[in-house]
Amino acid sequence: MTAIFFPSPAQSGRLLRWPAGAKMAVALGLVFGTALVPAGWVAWFEVVTLVLVAVMVLGKIPPGPVLLRLLALSPFVAGVALAAAWHPGGTLDWKITALRSGLCLATVILLAQTTPFGEMLAVLRRARVPALLVTTIALMQRYLFVLADETERMGRARASRTFTRGRWFAWRTAATVVGQLFVRASERAEHVYDAMCARGWR
Amino acid sequence: MIPALAIQDLGYAYPDGTVALHGITLSVAPGECVGLLGPNGSGKSTLLRHLNGILPERLPGTGGAVAVHGEPITSANVAAVRRQLGLMFQDPDDQLFCATVREDVGFGPQQLGLGAAAAAARVQSALEQVGLVHLSHRPPHHLSNGEKRRACLAGVLACAPSILVLDEPTSGLDPRGRRELIALLRGIAATKLIATHDLELVVELCPRSIILDGGRIIADGPTTELLADEALMLAHGLERPHILQHRHPHPAKD
Amino acid sequence: MHIPDGFLDAKTALATGALSVAGLGFALREVRRELPPRRVPLLGLAAAFLFAAQMVNFPVAGGTSGHLLGGALVAALLGPAAAVVVVATVLIVQCFLFADGGVTALGANIFNLGLVTTLSGYAVYATVSRLLPGLRGRVAALAFAGWCSTVLAATACAGQLAWSGTVAWSAGFPAMAGVHAFIGLGEGIVNALVYVAIARTRPDLLPESGVPADRPARLREFVVLGLLATLGIALFVAPFACPWPDGLDAVAARLGFGHQAVGVLLPAPAGAVGALVAFGLAIGFSRLVVQKPPAGAADSA
Repeated sequence: MTAIFFPSPAQSGRLLRWPAGAKMAVALGLVFGTALVPAGWVAWFEVVTLVLVAVMVLGKIPPGPVLLRLLALSPFVAGVALAAAWHPGGTLDWKITALRSGLCLATVILLAQTTPFGEMLAVLRRARVPALLVTTIALMQRYLFVLADETERMGRARASRTFTRGRWFAWRTAATVVGQLFVRASERAEHVYDAMCARGWR
Repeated sequence: MIPALAIQDLGYAYPDGTVALHGITLSVAPGECVGLLGPNGSGKSTLLRHLNGILPERLPGTGGAVAVHGEPITSANVAAVRRQLGLMFQDPDDQLFCATVREDVGFGPQQLGLGAAAAAARVQSALEQVGLVHLSHRPPHHLSNGEKRRACLAGVLACAPSILVLDEPTSGLDPRGRRELIALLRGIAATKLIATHDLELVVELCPRSIILDGGRIIADGPTTELLADEALMLAHGLERPHILQHRHPHPAKD
Repeated sequence: MHIPDGFLDAKTALATGALSVAGLGFALREVRRELPPRRVPLLGLAAAFLFAAQMVNFPVAGGTSGHLLGGALVAALLGPAAAVVVVATVLIVQCFLFADGGVTALGANIFNLGLVTTLSGYAVYATVSRLLPGLRGRVAALAFAGWCSTVLAATACAGQLAWSGTVAWSAGFPAMAGVHAFIGLGEGIVNALVYVAIARTRPDLLPESGVPADRPARLREFVVLGLLATLGIALFVAPFACPWPDGLDAVAARLGFGHQAVGVLLPAPAGAVGALVAFGLAIGFSRLVVQKPPAGAADSA
């Protein structure tokens, strides 16, 4: 499902040039505040909304994809609304929960849209996050597109030779694709190690 | 003169018993540019991965030795050898493992322990050499195939190797990307060993060629002579390149 | 099962965050010490694999489809500590790059999906695959591990939502555990099918048995991380599942959970029956998928 929402932080605009660390700090502040302030602080929610709208205008970010992504949140909110309806005695106001989630989600989307991932990684490195974790995150981000493409190609190749059989067959084929994906990821890991060594690693 | 690359009776078998190389012996003089030809599965990539000690490190071979500038590769000097010998892999996605082009080109210099300023200068000049300065902030995923190859080449050049070993540098490139890469390679002074199916590239760049098949060296000689021998070429899954069919067998001058 | 922002309160976010930092930190330390250098890139590639694998759809019914969770599978393939690092990496990237799962809930998500699934999955896989020999045994073990890990993660998730006062335990737990008892069957089947697919093409990539050769290290990482996971589950679930008096009860009452009885009476017998049924299904399933000789089995369907 996440595949639809690949962010494209190549947008122009001056927000892109702001230091990544500052943007991340502000975004984290907004998210933690929005998620955790008491429900009665209406002013906070209004201010956050204004900030987000300002960022969208300044960064020239098209609202379409952001709104689309917000819709994907709805099943979770619906579930909670349902549970709240089931237990009228509860203290929970599901509308506030939905508002919190929506604002936080929009904040993270806007951060991803205005900050290249490489810069975020550099901030993590400076913040003394363990190097092994940063390396793993960086490698994952580098190769997830490669592997996602491979998945798609394998899926298409399978589909073009599959002529509507039962669900069981569909599961077996999908599992074969996943298995094949693991094999390819392992092989690529070996090649990446070779390439790292060839350029003097260790 | 000490050869840049000397391989003596090199043999290799994979753990499953498949013998990939039989008694390979060859030497490459400094400054030479040699084409390595052969059908798929002939052992080209296996041979190349011996040249900087990657394969023997993982799975010990079955004898023979590789010497770089007269020094046999051992586990003690393998790091030094890798500074001398730059290896460009077949799939650019294997080689470009960093988040951006600039970061990737900088990986080698960083590992060499250069200072920040010296490393940055190396990266900049390598990027200029391959003409990718304007794309240096891009993630590798957003490059065309030709740009990816050039980025890989920049990553190798930034380590300033004296020997350049290339595995299928032009596979998957469109004609323009291929042209640009060939022009780039021609301008690089290092000793070059190029494994490829691109026979016209060999005619253009390599005065000498080696044909490998079934893990053995079948022929080693002047490129135009080998490639003009139709029977030899067809017997080893190759063909006589088009550009030789309209010319007399003299080396192409450019 | 990715919890969004706004569904957890401060104390839950803090508690899950602390547990996840401790667990991930320990796992990183273990991996750095035990993993040979040439396997280091595999962590990043395995994370990319898990992400891509989650994009593959498994059709369920009426046009809906599910996807792999993968914690138990990755733990069986790479060992518990590496699996914790891999799944946590996937969650971090999903959170910040794709806004999937909340930032304040990242700790909870890493705890549920990164620690609970991998460790419970590994525990079940290692134990059962010792009892049942051969590839068939390992497949059955992994199928059952997939089910257990899914149900346990859902239980922990329900506990956190209840602890935060978002969804009452009496409503959240039966719903989450009930739904995931079925989703877990799918997870188990997918885990087993994927394992069989790998065994068919590259059996050399699979660890020989449930407990690989480097046992002392595995045991240590497993015990420490397992304790953390258990502690967390106890923390989130115990206030609701046990009829403890006073303090915790008062907390629960203040948060507005009236229907304690459901939460207390339901889990034990229903859980035991569910686990037995899932175990039986896993064994039957392994007989179904691993019986033909490997040659000729490929694409014979």
